[in-house]
Amino acid sequence: MKVLVINSGSSSLKYQLYDMTDESVLAKGLVERIGMDSSILTHKPTGKEEVTEVSEILEHNTAIRKVIEKLTDKTHGVLASVDEINAVGHRVVHGGEFFSESALVDAQAKKNIRALIDLAPLHNPAAIMGIEASEINMPGVPQVVVFDTAFHQTMPEKSYLYAIPRVLYNKYKVRRYGFHGTSHYYVSLAAAEFLGKPIEDLKIITAHIGNGGSLTAIQGGVSVDTSMGMTPLEGLMMGTRSGDLDPAIVPYVMNKEELSVSEMNSMLNKHSGLLAISGFSSDMRDITDGWEKGEPNSTMAFEMYEYRLRKYIGSYAAAMNGVDVLIFTAGVGENSAIVRKAVCENLSYLGIEIDEELNKIRSGDPRRISTPNSKVEVLVVPTNEELVIARDTYRIVEGTQA
Amino acid sequence: MKLEMNFKKIGVVGGGVMGQGIAEMLAARGLDVLLVEKNNEKLDHAYSMIETSLDKKLEKWGITPAEKKLTLSRISKVTHFAELGSCDLVIETISEDLEAKKAVFAQLDQVCPSHITLASNTSALSLTEIGSSTMHPERVIGMHFIYPVASINLVELIRGLKTSDAVVEAAKYFVEETLDKKGIMVYESPGFVSTRLICTLINEALHVLEEGVASAQDIDDAMRIGYQFNRGPLEMCDRFGLDSVLAALEGMFREYGDIKYRPAFILKKMVRAGQLGTKTGEGFFKYDKDGDKL
Repeated sequence: MKVLVINSGSSSLKYQLYDMTDESVLAKGLVERIGMDSSILTHKPTGKEEVTEVSEILEHNTAIRKVIEKLTDKTHGVLASVDEINAVGHRVVHGGEFFSESALVDAQAKKNIRALIDLAPLHNPAAIMGIEASEINMPGVPQVVVFDTAFHQTMPEKSYLYAIPRVLYNKYKVRRYGFHGTSHYYVSLAAAEFLGKPIEDLKIITAHIGNGGSLTAIQGGVSVDTSMGMTPLEGLMMGTRSGDLDPAIVPYVMNKEELSVSEMNSMLNKHSGLLAISGFSSDMRDITDGWEKGEPNSTMAFEMYEYRLRKYIGSYAAAMNGVDVLIFTAGVGENSAIVRKAVCENLSYLGIEIDEELNKIRSGDPRRISTPNSKVEVLVVPTNEELVIARDTYRIVEGTQA
Repeated sequence: MKLEMNFKKIGVVGGGVMGQGIAEMLAARGLDVLLVEKNNEKLDHAYSMIETSLDKKLEKWGITPAEKKLTLSRISKVTHFAELGSCDLVIETISEDLEAKKAVFAQLDQVCPSHITLASNTSALSLTEIGSSTMHPERVIGMHFIYPVASINLVELIRGLKTSDAVVEAAKYFVEETLDKKGIMVYESPGFVSTRLICTLINEALHVLEEGVASAQDIDDAMRIGYQFNRGPLEMCDRFGLDSVLAALEGMFREYGDIKYRPAFILKKMVRAGQLGTKTGEGFFKYDKDGDKL
């Protein structure tokens, strides 16, 4: 079975085509600047030359048509005909309380995803556009939706409720949802496999730290707590997001600076985090460069980032009354040996001990960076959300056909 | 007609305060804008004012440097009406002068194919009369945006006698779905709803001031604090421009013939003195060059 995985943003669309017989990637690519007259399609067929094409792509429907043209192109294509695509899997950011697992797309599923636009105004509309564009271009092909929030639906009430009047939960579903679920799920499973231990027996903390970042406490294979909340703003300090802060700061600053709701939102989501403290960059590579040179603002940004991340690891160890495995993943987690070292050095009270040489190794495979003496296994596991989407799509579509 | 994203490329005629605000707001929403002024000098001035306005939003954390660049890149400067033929919608924002507006619409009628919607940002004038200067009055509609355009989420949609239902429907869809603002439907009547009500309030505040009942600051505080107005009526008058308020009141006085619209003398006097409000640095209050109240 061949599965096309689609990740639609409001003005971009990423895709990967999988052959599920061996889970190999046949091609992948990206359409950028949808809605403009100079949209860019970058298509990478496995084992062949990458192609880039600039053309007018005004909406997702045209974007998917162009992607199919490339996939079936005589020279750059990997398929003889569009009919070879047996299923389509979509990444959807918000599944709310409707979806605790991936689901086949039908009228009800679409209605539910639409109903969640209120909670994910930036993301869910794009997903809907991707789904509808696929329906038009691949009529009759089954589609599956995979949610960033689904994995966290196992969290107990005590983790997901906020200590505010319950009526807000009842009326508007104000609660913790958590994000990056597909990634937390994938790396925890891959880690258990790597260690050769049943995931049911493990207490795992997964640190998905990239541009955005979240931490999840996984006990017995299910999410029991996660650092992002109702929106991706809560929790860790991130590239441009503040993470946790005293909520009373919001009305105070709005009043002092005469800010509107949207300005305040933009400040906390786009002008905070590493960017605000360093004063020049939201990229951890720039921050560590500055820190190594002793530049004071970068140093403060790095120290705050590391300190806040470490506090969260400590709190999740407390939440599960222990931790067996600590996993680093995503851009910073997979690539920044400096961040991993700084965090782990001060977790010796948990019995964590990392091997500096192992920590420095760069690789695309899951690997251990802790010493044999360490009481906690510390791993780096490259994430692969697309593969999870392809697997879920395959499993669900197979199930309906059996 | 499919309504989804019905207007993507929009002409804005006039680079004054309203033209700048509308052009910036449209571009910030991801739409392509052709901004038209009489000459390059005026165009450059309007463009630099938009840049200043974006810088202020950046300072207040409302946007990022990348968003500022993207918004500016969507605004093209144009000095010839002929280039507006490729737009899906043209919004006229020149000064409130009926004859001048009619001249603009007659020209637009020549260069824009008949299916293109032509809108006027007039705050009080007759859409039927503006439409009468064109061969296709059915495509002429009023789209009254309110200053400051970026943050005021109300647009009055005014239909002239001959405006077609399809044009009204497309305009409402555009305002509510693409711009995410509330569109209220108004049948043509001098001053529509918002201008008629607010200018009457301002005029009454001017009478109160004239009669020496209270100071300008206390009049404004009464409405601001007492009735939760964002700004008091006199500061509003300064920000609209005293000349614009006078023109609107005179127009309504003429049209309705009702004495309640007769402009207060103090307003006429200040306009004659060239004290026009925020844009000249002084009206009922004083302002710095950024328009902040001193």
